[in-house]
Amino acid sequence: METYKIYSITSVVLFAIGLGGLFLAKHFLRKIIATIIMGGGVFLCLVSFADRDSLSYADPVPHALVITGIVVAVTAAAFALSLARRIHKFSGEETFTDEK
Amino acid sequence: MDILIDILLALLSVYLAFRCMLAPKLSKAVFVFFAFGLTLALAWIRLGAVDVAIAEAAIASGFMGVLLLDSLRDFSLTFSKNHNVIEVKPNNSVEVKNRSELFPKIGLGIGLLLFLLISLEAVWNIPEGGGLTALAGSKISESGVEHPVTAVLLNYRAYDTWLEIGVILMGLLAIFAAGGIKQYRKAGITPSQDPILRQAILIFIPVLFLFGAFLLYFGKMGPGGAFQAAVMWGAIGILLHLGGWPVFTEIPRRLRLLMLTAGLGFFLFLGLIFMTTGGALFEYPPAYAGLLILMIETFGAVSIAAALTAIFAFLTK
Repeated sequence: METYKIYSITSVVLFAIGLGGLFLAKHFLRKIIATIIMGGGVFLCLVSFADRDSLSYADPVPHALVITGIVVAVTAAAFALSLARRIHKFSGEETFTDEK
Repeated sequence: MDILIDILLALLSVYLAFRCMLAPKLSKAVFVFFAFGLTLALAWIRLGAVDVAIAEAAIASGFMGVLLLDSLRDFSLTFSKNHNVIEVKPNNSVEVKNRSELFPKIGLGIGLLLFLLISLEAVWNIPEGGGLTALAGSKISESGVEHPVTAVLLNYRAYDTWLEIGVILMGLLAIFAAGGIKQYRKAGITPSQDPILRQAILIFIPVLFLFGAFLLYFGKMGPGGAFQAAVMWGAIGILLHLGGWPVFTEIPRRLRLLMLTAGLGFFLFLGLIFMTTGGALFEYPPAYAGLLILMIETFGAVSIAAALTAIFAFLTK
């Protein structure tokens, strides 16, 4: 089994864990972490196929996409954090559930 | 032997992702998240993506972890309070809720399992595309740099990178808007009185600056570049804030805005110059491409570092 196959399978599992966590986790912070894990799965998938298409070096186009993607994902997550903290500041809530 | 390391790393990252979601305490989840990011960085080194590994370890694990840790201060104190309120409720009403929640959970589980199987099938049987490796390599002599990833980032697909610097600026603006306060908050972190911490920060700053500058220049021929350098320089701003010197909020407003927009502005300015001289938007003349890319990377790194510091300074009260 080649290296890239191991990691491409892992990427699918990571995405599924993140997706499940996004639905099942209650707390805002955990939901945000779940989206970052989903993103990690997507990036791992891209980079593993860059490894498959490597000649003397790995395919640089997915690498560039992933580098820009990481920075954008972190900025978006920081925005989500600021929204979550704002919600918490005004309503005192930290989950979307009705029960208090 | 190699395959053992790969399988171990794969299992470890899956396990850590699970722990992130299932850890009973939020603080534990955040610390496991640090470890998860570093494991992914190791996986990327195994896949030959050293640039991505540096970016992941520094931004997605380090910077994001710092932001999460900081917001933990807001949440974790009150979460236990809410938890007590739930326990006080009479038992039977909770049970009814459990039963009504069971059905969607089973549905979600089946859906996730199907999703997992479909995507496994898709990943396993992905058609051979050949990739763009040969195409990217064939034009490398005209791009002005020797490292293919930097060539893609700042020459072939410079438009993407330019817009991405714009996205970071947009994210910063959105954070300001959601923060609801027009001014930067005054640094509410009590300036650390610990003389050892402050001295250690002062020692680290020149090292970080030099290492960032090295990564910036080295991006021409190896792993490194604007984003990696930007995180190193952003770390300087964050450390200064933590040590009780809120330099970023105290420098004049004009200078701050200039630092934040320098990357986007300089990139656009160059693009317009190329257009007036008859080229396409980011079509560098091959003779000057190396120098121009280095200048763009420097301005871009300053901007991204300023944006990261601003996000940190704004989010921490």
